[in-house]
Amino acid sequence: MKGMRVVVSGMGGELGTRVTNLLEAHPGVEAVMGIDLDPPRRRIPRATFHRVDPRDRRRVVPLVEGFAPTAVVHLGVYEPNARSAPATAAALTEAAAVNVLGAAARCRTLDRIVVRSGLEVYGRARGAPIRPDEHVETRPTCAFGRSLQRVEHVASAAARQAGVPAARLRLATVVGPHVPSPLGRYLRLPVVPIGAWSALPFSLLHQEDAAAACVRALETGADGALNVVGPGAVTADQAVRLGGRVPVPVIGPGWLVARMAAELFGAPLPDHVRELLVRGRCGDGARARAVLGFEPAQSTTDVVHQLYEWAEVVQLDPAHRDVA
Amino acid sequence: MSIQAGLRRRFDGTYPVDEWGLDRDLVELMSPLVGLRWATDARGVEHLSADGPAVLVFNRRFGLSEPFVLARGVRLAADRPVRFVGAPDIAPVGPALRRFGAVLGSHAEVAGLLRAGHLVGIPLERAVRHRHKAGRLPVEALAAALDAAAPVVPVALVGREVTRRWVVAVGEPLSPSGQGPLAEVELAEAVRRAVQDLLDEALPAPRWPL
Repeated sequence: MKGMRVVVSGMGGELGTRVTNLLEAHPGVEAVMGIDLDPPRRRIPRATFHRVDPRDRRRVVPLVEGFAPTAVVHLGVYEPNARSAPATAAALTEAAAVNVLGAAARCRTLDRIVVRSGLEVYGRARGAPIRPDEHVETRPTCAFGRSLQRVEHVASAAARQAGVPAARLRLATVVGPHVPSPLGRYLRLPVVPIGAWSALPFSLLHQEDAAAACVRALETGADGALNVVGPGAVTADQAVRLGGRVPVPVIGPGWLVARMAAELFGAPLPDHVRELLVRGRCGDGARARAVLGFEPAQSTTDVVHQLYEWAEVVQLDPAHRDVA
Repeated sequence: MSIQAGLRRRFDGTYPVDEWGLDRDLVELMSPLVGLRWATDARGVEHLSADGPAVLVFNRRFGLSEPFVLARGVRLAADRPVRFVGAPDIAPVGPALRRFGAVLGSHAEVAGLLRAGHLVGIPLERAVRHRHKAGRLPVEALAAALDAAAPVVPVALVGREVTRRWVVAVGEPLSPSGQGPLAEVELAEAVRRAVQDLLDEALPAPRWPL
């Protein structure tokens, strides 16, 4: 891995920015170019960033082709209600995959693809295993899962066209104090509606582990689907209690009320998050450990604890304005 | 674990739950109550290794007590949790049973448990009228064990629904002789026979067979 030229789509997300910073510090990376709707969340001293709507094919395609990438890290996956409304998120995800990966597949320089996917692609239909490995067929049961499945299909088609490996990283839900995520906002409500008697466990992933997995997949040139999951699991009731919040058991039509109330308080509840809270979502990360030689350092419980670690608001005394 | 500490952990959310939903704290908290219903006497637990995967094939009559008897007997004697297949994937029964070790019977779920090194209990078909007979074992039930090359351990459960005392007799593990459909059939037959032998040892032959 020497002299790599990497396109990072979705650089404006928390994961995209972190991956960019890691690649900037990587001795094998010659240049990094980013594309996204939103600007990066931290400084990017070496990378170039283009603030482009991924749906704008006329701008995206020449940018990618002109850069002559040797690798693409496609993180342009927009979670519903994270930073965009569900319909917009689905359109952005679809367009970003087709435009970025489609353009990259035409570049003769390309030798590997890494795509961000998620455990949502497996679906949680009745009878589906709660901790699937990569051999389990993908049958998504939520809109976000279907979007991710489409991204994986596009990535596989692009990889076939270019004759290169494509690592499809099926990440567990990433939450953290600085990650815009509907699950994070929902769990931080003071009173949290959860499924009464139906809460099954789910696993989470720390943003640093997610970023490290992306870089590792790029280094190794891994191929195929890989579940990247933090060790351990929690139930919704447990997560709420760990955060010192009050769980409110909800059944059936009570979810309609709970959903409306949560939205009023700034924490809309998309269907993939409700599915996770009620039906659980874990994954077998053994293949990723073997292929990438990498194990997530932070457990699911650690991620939950960190989610609730907000910096306290410090009231400044007007007499000490110079402090600010 | 004191009851007070256990209840405190439930209030704080600091109790451990694994990825299949097993809640060991709850199992321990409920153990004295469960002991009022089932008293288990486990024999031959030395056949179970301290770690690593295995499939425990057990007989059942009505199938109400047997999974819990197996899990309790092995947990108390060998300090290992047993997952038993057969949980319905419907709330509230499914999630509640998962807290005590139940899992789905699907191949993907059992294969995942074996890959992670767990003990999985798979029942023979019900033998309602004949307490001393081991039922059939569906051939596909052992597919996951063969894929994972996990040992298959016969277990005989001897007791009655209306009484409290149960004997859990664990037999010697059988290893798969290879792969393929014939190996599955042979293994299924061998393990059913081994459970029957354990039952014959534990139960005297009935004077008036029904």
